[in-house]
Amino acid sequence: MKKLLHNELLRIFLSSNTSKVGITFLAIMIIISAYVVMFMPLDFGLRYWNNPTFWADYPKLVPPEWVNIFLGNKLLRHTILITEKPTLSLGDTKQYILTYSHDTDQLPQTIVFKLNNITFTYTPIIELSVRRPDGRVIDLLIIQPLTSGVSERVDLSGRLEVAVALSRFLKDEFNVSISATEVIQRKLEFKILMGTPVISNGYVDFKTLRGNYMFNVFLKSDDPTARIGSVEVVIFGWCYGLMGTDHLGRDLSQALLYGFPVALLIGVVTSVITAVVGALAGVVSGYYGGIVDEVIQRLCDVLNNIPLLPLLIFFMFVIRMNEELRRTVSPLAVIIIVLVVFSWAGIAIIVRSMVLSIKSQQFIEASVAVGASNIRIMFKHVLPQVAPFIFAQMMFLTPSAILSEAALSLLGLSDPSIPTWGQILESAFANQAMYLGLWWWIVPPGLLIMYSAITFVFIAQGLEPIVEPRLRKV
Amino acid sequence: MSLLDVKNLKIYYFTLKGVVRAVDDVSFNVREGEVLGIAGESGSGKSTLGYGLMRLVPPPGRIAGGNIVVSGRDIVSMDEGTLRREIRWKVISMIFQGALNALNPVYTIGKQLVEPIIFHEDVSLKEAYERAAEMVKLVGLNEDVLRRYPHELSGGMKQRVMIAMALILRPKIVIADEPTTALDVVIQAQIMNLFKKIKKEFNQSIIFITHDLSLIAEIADNVAVMYAGKIVEYGNSDNVFNTPKHPYTQGLLKSIPRLKSKEKLSWIPGTPPDLRNPPVGCRFHPRCPYVMDVCRREEPPIKDVGGNHLVACWLY
Amino acid sequence: MVDKILMVEDLRKYYPIRRSLSEILTFKRGRYVRAVDGVSFYVNDGEVYCIVGESGCGKTTTGRLVTKLIEPTGGVIRYKPSSALARINNEFVVGGYVDYRRLPKKYVKLLRREVQIIFQDPYGSLDPRQTIYSILEEPLVIHGIGNDRKEREELIFKVLEDVKLSPPEEFINRYPHMLSGGQRQRVNIARALILGPKLVVADEPVSMLDVSVRAEILQLMMDLKISRGLTYVFITHDLAVANYICDRVAVMYLGKIVEEADMLKLVNEPLHPYTKALISAVPEPNPSNRFKIREVPIVGEVPSATAVPPGCRFHPRCPYVMDVCRREEPPIKDVGGNHLVACWLY
Repeated sequence: MKKLLHNELLRIFLSSNTSKVGITFLAIMIIISAYVVMFMPLDFGLRYWNNPTFWADYPKLVPPEWVNIFLGNKLLRHTILITEKPTLSLGDTKQYILTYSHDTDQLPQTIVFKLNNITFTYTPIIELSVRRPDGRVIDLLIIQPLTSGVSERVDLSGRLEVAVALSRFLKDEFNVSISATEVIQRKLEFKILMGTPVISNGYVDFKTLRGNYMFNVFLKSDDPTARIGSVEVVIFGWCYGLMGTDHLGRDLSQALLYGFPVALLIGVVTSVITAVVGALAGVVSGYYGGIVDEVIQRLCDVLNNIPLLPLLIFFMFVIRMNEELRRTVSPLAVIIIVLVVFSWAGIAIIVRSMVLSIKSQQFIEASVAVGASNIRIMFKHVLPQVAPFIFAQMMFLTPSAILSEAALSLLGLSDPSIPTWGQILESAFANQAMYLGLWWWIVPPGLLIMYSAITFVFIAQGLEPIVEPRLRKV
Repeated sequence: MSLLDVKNLKIYYFTLKGVVRAVDDVSFNVREGEVLGIAGESGSGKSTLGYGLMRLVPPPGRIAGGNIVVSGRDIVSMDEGTLRREIRWKVISMIFQGALNALNPVYTIGKQLVEPIIFHEDVSLKEAYERAAEMVKLVGLNEDVLRRYPHELSGGMKQRVMIAMALILRPKIVIADEPTTALDVVIQAQIMNLFKKIKKEFNQSIIFITHDLSLIAEIADNVAVMYAGKIVEYGNSDNVFNTPKHPYTQGLLKSIPRLKSKEKLSWIPGTPPDLRNPPVGCRFHPRCPYVMDVCRREEPPIKDVGGNHLVACWLY
Repeated sequence: MVDKILMVEDLRKYYPIRRSLSEILTFKRGRYVRAVDGVSFYVNDGEVYCIVGESGCGKTTTGRLVTKLIEPTGGVIRYKPSSALARINNEFVVGGYVDYRRLPKKYVKLLRREVQIIFQDPYGSLDPRQTIYSILEEPLVIHGIGNDRKEREELIFKVLEDVKLSPPEEFINRYPHMLSGGQRQRVNIARALILGPKLVVADEPVSMLDVSVRAEILQLMMDLKISRGLTYVFITHDLAVANYICDRVAVMYLGKIVEEADMLKLVNEPLHPYTKALISAVPEPNPSNRFKIREVPIVGEVPSATAVPPGCRFHPRCPYVMDVCRREEPPIKDVGGNHLVACWLY
């Protein structure tokens, strides 16, 4: 029965280019959200995002890899070298060799040795060293693990023993004196490790040594059971992934992806509930009139005049402070509820005035004459007339909800366990991303917020001719 | 000498669902001092014709062919600027259907009457107001109506104001499109009397468009009966009313309820055709009681059946 | 003796006008729009009773009061129900008549099965979002007529054929905007008739239709009256239409009936000056009329219903006005042969 109506409306809707673009955008959003829901863990936020240790091996604050397409001096790529078996076995020494080819002048952010799952019966001795392309060898560190089954993670930056080794290497090989403390202070670890000192005008500078580096891990023990599960060397590059990383090394592309279904959820749920509540209130208010109308309208007046943002801040604050509330109540639900409570009034007022004019139409009177009850008239005759308007309002409310949530996140009031685009922006600003020029942290989430808002605004524009027949192209 | 000469006028609406041939090859003329009545049901194209004569057809409609010659000038090919300055309202003006809503509620009557004068002619405001006052008295209203706002006037008064507005520049032709719908019968009679007075005193040419044949009889000298975008009968009022030739005209006349007689009415069965797909041949043939084979195949040409009485029907 | 199916006595409907603050504060009496101001008439079973008048005279309001779509401010409306309704209860059925004032809310629905209304506007009186089938099904569903879809469909088909929308299958799935004005009006009539009423109020049923379509609809209504044994209260402003269809007619002016008579008598021997003016104002398709000014013996325009003139309410416009007309309201008098007039001339 409604088929004809739908076809006609669909044709009108698709007659403008804006709505076609809007629908395409929306389709993209839905597809990405579906992908996220299917392939990413639902507790991504809690399990990974809020867990800094998960991101330990990611470079910090680096832009996306594709930036290299545009740069002459390419950024160093993030490299992870791994082996599970010793390369050489000589007597009671097992040697793990990992080769790395360095072909740029840029030095890594840091280098980390990861010795995973060291098992033994008697404590072995593990030596870490590096053979440079110029043949020089630096003995970096000696480790004696105490407990079996533990993993060791050695970050070469800021490690005193390593600095001492480097300082000594510099003196022995090049006769340049820089104390260990100075090495750490001036962050010269990798300049020394991977560079050749050049003295000019009394200042020491380092020229990067390109070529093949061999990272060696020696496991010395006469215990045949001693082994290292896997040996990894992570060379922290200066770019990573699709969207770069933040200050904790978190892969921003994952967070941005995760933001899609969240944005859709917040946007759509808020707007649907608001529209439904508002429509019902408006219809009842307009149709019955009298005291029912007065009560509902005064309520709308009050709600419309209460400033939304301070109230939201207040609620979020209360929840944060109260331990019990923090555990039981989902902040996201609170945001949705508060947004709904304060937005339905606007819809109700407009619906009410539409209903007032519909009420005076003869076909309503005709239904009364035939014996229809008020409920029947409201749902079968009045509501369908306001339905297109409601639907259009839903489209307008969605970006508003998304933006409100983003604003809240920016103020630090949103749900920290779920990474949303607003959250990403918040941490970006909190970490001075603007001043540091970390554009990949700010621009993508901002663009995506805009994109989601535009999607719904375009769809709403496409819906305008349906709601206002005079705008239709004949 | 004709004041207005319409030849082969075609006005079509180009919609997404097809071309609506609202006015399809219509020709007629109006002389000075003559009232032409255009009669037709809803959907016959009569209102479109009225708008077309002023080139006010709303998009997606437009004049698709033919000529409209007013005092020797063809306004179909005229450019918009000249049309607006010299023809519209000055030579041809219109009283719109539902004119009661055509007045701007935020301006006084006087302001709205004076506006066309100031736009078209180079006179002072004072003089313009004087002319407006004169016109308003002519249509039977008190001068102080100029200071009132539209919502303060009754339906009949508003209609008189609309007539005054149409006449304010003393145009050669006035098009009246259903000027008395929504008016009560007493007011309607008074307005019709006003039209008669204007016709006589100004020797005004009027094109009177309506679906009510009784009203046409009250004022028109010549009648054109329209059906589905075409003129099916055209001639002197006396001829058309007393000896209607086209079956459609006959049917229309037989369906009017009369006050003084209780004779049984008849009517025309069926509904007017969809103007996107009019019937092949004579457009009236599906509803015609005298339909013949040829009517289903070919469109009848317009024929003079005597005394400048034109009919488009295969019966003749 | 024909039964009277409807009796109306001193019917009044006043609408209060919103008062400004200054009026409330100075305790000025509330003003009212006296839409219907003391109207009395009766309708015989099986006849067509017309109420004629210009807009604002109260005829539409009277129609709504008779169908109990609005409640009167005063006066009595009595309707003679068929046996089905009469059997239900006795409290409000007095002497075989239902008194509208005493009818409890839950029985109003039953009343609606017997008293129905045909609306004026073929465009606004049908819900644009419902199919014809759905519009006609609604009354059946509300009153629980027809046990299943098939039975209801049969009833709908039958009523569509009765109003000559044939074949019904072609129309049931259409929406109102796909029908012509005349077809929509037929649907209106079908909806009014599908419950099988006895009394039908027709509120200007042909005024918004083309003149050529009116005759067909009027004839349809006459045929249905005979085939279904209906009684009409026909409201119109068009005397010619009234003449064609009515048996008896009442002329209303500013909320009161000023003249009532058999239709033929009213047209040929009008008594009240207003009636005379109405009759003289009706146009006729006589082409020689264009040379004559139509004399309508009336002055000025209808005054607002909030400021009803004192005395005879027609006096400011009456060409025969006398002194007494300005002071006192004339009573209704029967001048013979059931011809009633309210005028000091008689």
